[in-house]
Amino acid sequence: MNNPKLSIVDLTKRYAPGLDPAVDCLSMSVEEGHLVALLGPSGCGKTTTLRMVAGLMDPTSGSIMVDGKDITQTPVHKRGMGMVFQSYALFPHMDVAQNVAFGLQMRKVGSKEQNRRVVEALDLVKLGHLAGRQVKELSGGQQQRIAIARALVVEPTLLLLDEPLSNLDAKLRENMRTEIRSIQQRTGATTLFVTHDQDEALDMADRIAVMNGGIIEQYGAPAEVYERPQTHFVADFIGQANFFASAVVADDGAAADGERSYVVDVDGFGRFGAVGAAGLAGSTHEIVVRPHRLKTSLQQPAGPFIEGVIERVSYTGDSLSLGLRAGGKELLSQMPTASSGIPRLGQTAYLSWDPADAFIIPGTAGIPHGTERPATADALAAQDVA
Amino acid sequence: MSIITAAGNSAPGPGLAPGVLEKAKSRRDRRTFLALLAPAILGLVASFVLPLAYMVRMSFNEGGPDGVVEEGFTLRHYIEPLGDSYFWKVTLDTFQMGLVVGVLCVLVSYPVAMFLARSTSKFKGLLTALAIAPLLTSAVVRTYGWMVILGDTGLVNSSLKSMGFITDPLKLTNNMTGVTIGLVEIFMPYAILAMISGFGRLSPQLEEAAGSLGASKFKVFTRVTLPLTLPGVLTAFLMVFVLSVSTFITPRLLGGGAVQVLATEIYDQTTGLLNWPFAAALSVILLVLFGIIISVYQRLTKKIGA
Repeated sequence: MNNPKLSIVDLTKRYAPGLDPAVDCLSMSVEEGHLVALLGPSGCGKTTTLRMVAGLMDPTSGSIMVDGKDITQTPVHKRGMGMVFQSYALFPHMDVAQNVAFGLQMRKVGSKEQNRRVVEALDLVKLGHLAGRQVKELSGGQQQRIAIARALVVEPTLLLLDEPLSNLDAKLRENMRTEIRSIQQRTGATTLFVTHDQDEALDMADRIAVMNGGIIEQYGAPAEVYERPQTHFVADFIGQANFFASAVVADDGAAADGERSYVVDVDGFGRFGAVGAAGLAGSTHEIVVRPHRLKTSLQQPAGPFIEGVIERVSYTGDSLSLGLRAGGKELLSQMPTASSGIPRLGQTAYLSWDPADAFIIPGTAGIPHGTERPATADALAAQDVA
Repeated sequence: MSIITAAGNSAPGPGLAPGVLEKAKSRRDRRTFLALLAPAILGLVASFVLPLAYMVRMSFNEGGPDGVVEEGFTLRHYIEPLGDSYFWKVTLDTFQMGLVVGVLCVLVSYPVAMFLARSTSKFKGLLTALAIAPLLTSAVVRTYGWMVILGDTGLVNSSLKSMGFITDPLKLTNNMTGVTIGLVEIFMPYAILAMISGFGRLSPQLEEAAGSLGASKFKVFTRVTLPLTLPGVLTAFLMVFVLSVSTFITPRLLGGGAVQVLATEIYDQTTGLLNWPFAAALSVILLVLFGIIISVYQRLTKKIGA
């Protein structure tokens, strides 16, 4: 394995003694040229982590290494990071070109070279024509791109983005996602990106670190995090999910990618198929099925099924989103609009899934099983936290 | 009911040209506006504009140091001081004092204002109140306080003496040094308030951004913090300058008669020598100088984009 660009080892930040740590013994490494998203709800420690990497905040313990060199004690202005702030933090008393040139001036780059690189950076973000403008004359999206140009012009060791899209309106945000991703790929800048928006993370990142309560719950490629969530939190935070407390009854043979197929006894609903890691037979776990993988039909299917009553129908054009109640449990599903008639509220629907579409979440071992009434999703979530 | 409501909400009926209602409304707004302003305008006219006009008129009257004022028109009180070296010295001393007090006051208040503007402490409100609390006591009281502290047998001199640093007391009162020390302290609350309100453009993120772009702490201060706080600094300086130049009590008491500035000179001419026309002329000159300074200040602030 090649050496990582950035590695964080046992990083901890405690704002005050006695308080729970904001970042708790966090370790991760980022490969050269990758864009890594730190994803999580507010207060999960993602921004704190980014600020410690930037050098804007001192860690309580642990270390940060760039290119194998420990920079934990290096002051912010000697780290050579390119940081883009949520508020962009453009200098209001300088024009666009002066803002972009600031980092070069601090590095005592000659004025000719400065001009060349400023023009280059502004062209990179397609705003070369705005060089002489005052910052306050720019729109939010333009300020955003100037902030990126200002961070990139110094050829930073790492590009750090703190919720860069949260101040933009929805339409612009979509454009900027593609824009930032393409700039990042063209420059090859290793990038750490803080966001609370799972769509943004899935769309842009090479790797996602899903954070919660100061720790990384899961670190992996977008598809991995979405398809193979390792904890209840990850499955719940990324995308929509149906959870079922289940007893893993028997190993049913090999599945794809080294996983095993299992027969699971789903609380209150009978036996279904699911996939998961090896050696789970005999345990109790939660399984997750994504709404669009939950096959919904108005006729009874051949295999095992869950019978539910339709409580909510929302029409989105190409598909229908359904809210169903089955045995005291609320379930979400999706179905194509033209399949088997348009379901009415109160109608009975039959839910089933392909064994490959149900994943046994490893981090939920020991979930209580066999109670007469199936637990609700909320109760399970509470269990998981406890 | 619904029909009436609907009609009431509709556009002006036939016969009313478009815009008439709006005009009527704006006329009504203007009347309200004037009615609300009237008390303040009347008050200002009675207590400021009329006395000022009277003072300007007075400055052209004939009169002498015997208290006799004769109605008339003469430029004597303007021309005479211009050729008088004593007047020039007093004017220069006054402005020099304003400049020194302004600069020192801004220097000592800047860190305090910066701290208060940045603080996220729950005591921030209390600390701000404490910083401006001296305004609750009069300048006279505080000046006497400084006389006690700075006098020949005052706190400073007796402490230094008992520690053996000096044998003869330092001359800290009855001179410009004492006046300057007193004025700087007395005007600090104004400077702090003016600067706190002028620091709005500086967000900590801008300094962090500068740091992340490679600026050392010193560079962050000179390239980002200072330029962005300059409007507040200028406002504070101007305020303290104007207050110092026009103040009378502190130069009189702490100066002990040895410090003559325009304000004390005007006072002496008015109450001591009873030469009202000359005192009025000096006041007008001071007013004109203020006008010039304020217009320069406005041009400066426009230039730095405040």
